[in-house]
Amino acid sequence: MASQRSTVDRLDKPSAYFNSRNKRRGGGRDRRDEDDDVNMHQEQPEDDPLKDATTLYVGNLSFYTTEEQVYELFSKCGEIKRLIMGLDRFTKTPCGFCFVEYYTHQDALDCMKYIGGTKLDERIIRTDLDPGFEEGRQYGRGKSGGQVRDEYREDFDEGRGGLGRQIQQEARLREVERRDNESDFGRLR
Amino acid sequence: MADYDRRSGGDRGGYNSRKRRYRDDDDYDRRGPRRRFDAPPHVRIRRLLLSIAENPMRAWHEEIASIANLFTENWDDELLRGNFVDLVLQLSLEQPLKTPFLAAVVLVANTNRPEIVDMLLAKLTAGIEAKIGAGEWRDVKLYLKLLACLQSCLEGDGVFPVLEELFSRAVDLQTASSEDTIGTELVKIILLTLPYVMAASPEQWAQKAMDLMEKTDIIASEPHALQTLVEPYHTETSEDNANPSQSLIKLLQTQLQIEANNGWPLSFLPRPWEFPLGEVEQQAKLNDALKHALPPIALPQTVVAGPRPLFPEVYFSVYASQEVESVPSESTAAASLIRDALTDTISILHVNRNVTARHLIEVDCFFAPRTFAARATPFDRLRDIEPPKSTWKPEDVAVDAVFSQLFQLPNAEHKLVYYHSVLTEACKLAPAAIAPSLGRAIRYLYRNIQRLDLELENRFLDWFSHHLSNFGFTWKWTEWVDDVYLPDLHPCKAFIKGAIDKEIRLSFAQRIKNTLPEPYKDLIGPEMELETPDFKFANDDTPFAAEGREIAALVKGKASDEDIQPIIERIHALALDNNLDPLVASTDVFVTAVLHVGSKSLSHVLAAIERTKDRLTDAGAASESARAQIISAVMAYWGSHPGVAIAIVEKLLNYSILVPAAVINWALVTYAGATKGDALARAHIYELVFNTVMKVTGRVRQVALKAAQPDVVTESDTKDAETRSMRELFRAIEDALVSWASGNKDEMIEMEIGDGEGKSQREALVRRWGERWLRVYRRRAAIEEAFLLEASKKAAASTGAANGDAETIS
Repeated sequence: MASQRSTVDRLDKPSAYFNSRNKRRGGGRDRRDEDDDVNMHQEQPEDDPLKDATTLYVGNLSFYTTEEQVYELFSKCGEIKRLIMGLDRFTKTPCGFCFVEYYTHQDALDCMKYIGGTKLDERIIRTDLDPGFEEGRQYGRGKSGGQVRDEYREDFDEGRGGLGRQIQQEARLREVERRDNESDFGRLR
Repeated sequence: MADYDRRSGGDRGGYNSRKRRYRDDDDYDRRGPRRRFDAPPHVRIRRLLLSIAENPMRAWHEEIASIANLFTENWDDELLRGNFVDLVLQLSLEQPLKTPFLAAVVLVANTNRPEIVDMLLAKLTAGIEAKIGAGEWRDVKLYLKLLACLQSCLEGDGVFPVLEELFSRAVDLQTASSEDTIGTELVKIILLTLPYVMAASPEQWAQKAMDLMEKTDIIASEPHALQTLVEPYHTETSEDNANPSQSLIKLLQTQLQIEANNGWPLSFLPRPWEFPLGEVEQQAKLNDALKHALPPIALPQTVVAGPRPLFPEVYFSVYASQEVESVPSESTAAASLIRDALTDTISILHVNRNVTARHLIEVDCFFAPRTFAARATPFDRLRDIEPPKSTWKPEDVAVDAVFSQLFQLPNAEHKLVYYHSVLTEACKLAPAAIAPSLGRAIRYLYRNIQRLDLELENRFLDWFSHHLSNFGFTWKWTEWVDDVYLPDLHPCKAFIKGAIDKEIRLSFAQRIKNTLPEPYKDLIGPEMELETPDFKFANDDTPFAAEGREIAALVKGKASDEDIQPIIERIHALALDNNLDPLVASTDVFVTAVLHVGSKSLSHVLAAIERTKDRLTDAGAASESARAQIISAVMAYWGSHPGVAIAIVEKLLNYSILVPAAVINWALVTYAGATKGDALARAHIYELVFNTVMKVTGRVRQVALKAAQPDVVTESDTKDAETRSMRELFRAIEDALVSWASGNKDEMIEMEIGDGEGKSQREALVRRWGERWLRVYRRRAAIEEAFLLEASKKAAASTGAANGDAETIS
């Protein structure tokens, strides 16, 4: 009966994001197969990189959320072995994500079930199982140093630096252009 | 994995698909039309069974007949037949609220295709045997519940022989040992199964039920030897009317007796197999359907306790003794049976708290109509409800069930944060209905805080602050405003201070201050609003100020140990001149300097500790007072942010710079003494000690389990050493706390604060804290001993079995 799929969705599964990235890399599984009607049994690929995962990627943090706050909340699922704050590649300031490493796989799964999707510092945070931290991954991969999602974000998110940075950048450029035009106009007169 | 049900507005019960918006569009294109109209029968049946009884707008008998008919019409589909049986069994274990409805589908299907019942019974009885063999008692209970609901299609006495057999096992176990818990569990299972048998045809089985209950009475009415261990209230010794909570099985026995006396009305149980008067024909078919012989269920020679330790259970309610009964009273069988179905649901569905919360909110869908008042009826309106209409608030019943699990002693089944998350989700799904119920639960617990077991008080504290952090930190603090002026030793004041500290840890001081009414604001001092504490050696008036600054600079500059040594020696010399303990003085300066260098964040302090590990280890090994000074320095430096201090101490334990005994000694002797017992009322000191003890017991359990594996021999030395130091730790705790609880502590005798009355009042408060602490750690010690005993039994059994196997092979 253990191999039977559960009658409810489990919350301790990797997200669509992980699966799609993994798929692009050529490994992993396709969600569609998993959902297939006839396929009543779950198929776990043999070399599932997450089968013993003890690390979680934590997203949608406020830039102002501190290590201590993360520590306080995530300790509720077990002792934390390591905590790595995500930083802006250029300014080396927090940019809204982190990696939490537990001592056991079970603690990481429990964290997915009980903490992912709840609030920290009054924001709903996202957790995802992660194959493990590697040096370099603590930095944002966006053009301007932060996370990619903060480049073109159209909503104003106070906890994450307001509008997307590219959008802010464009607005600044427009502003400069406008002022240049104005002064040109003045000179002509 | 997502079921095919899109009716619920695409609620996958998951939050975790990042590109949900786009994916849902995909889903729609991909599966919409095909699934909806062309899904093969086994898929449709699966979908229908999974969501059975969830839609309150659909009449039960219609839903059940349509599923049963869809199934029997497609009888030739082999895949469907096999899947159907498996799914019914699986659902009865995973979503137990639905069991009676599944049974009804089977009963209706039996009228057309009686073979299905035999197929099901074969697998069900095999399943029961397997679960008994493995000691999976909850699964045994859930399978028996399904079987009990099928009683009307069973030949002869149906389920009764099975229950009687289980009872005779229980008697054997109970006569063998008064501390036996398996027998108690068996009686509980029997009593919880019986009502489902009786719901179908009470007259037919009344005598059988009475006979069985006469027997169970002997065990059920006997108070269990271990019951004090799980008692949630810890009444003061002076209180005469200390009435302990009722044991679950005793309560059940009494409740069922009342039902029996009234002819088993069991008015709250759903009877989805009953068809309305208009459908006489269907009802007649159902009554005349073929009956089936129940395959024999063999019980193993010895029954085992299974993977989860068994303890007696008590009935706990946060809505007890209200002016209007918003939850079933303890005298009704509904109290136990609805609670049982809900707690099983909560325990089993930990994989998806959203589904748990939905089941809780929709509890009224799964019981007889009119069992509950309308959802979200405000408590004040309950008193306007005319009898015989029910005043049971579904939200209260649901919330009560979650609290009974969160507050279960000695341990909750899951991590406590699971129950937090269930309450959070329930509150998110139906805020108007759930939030007021939670409010009343909080008030009840706060009112009873003095009687609550201290471990439970701390679970309450942790949940409360975590819950508020999910809802904008809003709470009606004004209603406790008078308590702000109580002495810090008062349990209510201690709770308030502890809660505010925990709120700040999840947020920040200024934010929390803004959520509090004026009188509370004084509890958050300016030092708590500082991000990093002041470095005391920055002030020249502090002794060793120059040395402190110098060492900090050296540690910061990653200087070598040799560079630091001369300054340490200078401190030693200065200390000797001033008649101070040189080791204590240098430890304080050094540790404080390290903390200061790492004050920016936990990562910084961990890096600083890592760099100075050797010197810190030496300091810890130098003398007992130096060891204590390490902790004093940490707790003093981070005094306004105890969460950080606790995290640092935990890491110092990991590095073996500190040993657990030092932490215990510091908290319960050094610091408690220095504060004349005030420390015992501080939630973070409790947390520090509790975490340390859990670390030690966790380690012992890990080692014991390893040593219990037959092929591991080398571990037994470690196991003995770890066990010994754990016992010593518990003894040290006991010794320290006994003197606080009995008022024999030197610091208490010497107390010179206030006049006679004030002094004795203070003394009484300190003693009470001592008693409460003592109860927690005596219980923890007892549980660990019980665990070790069980582990050694298992080890003996497995080596015995291994040897036995070897013999048969040779």
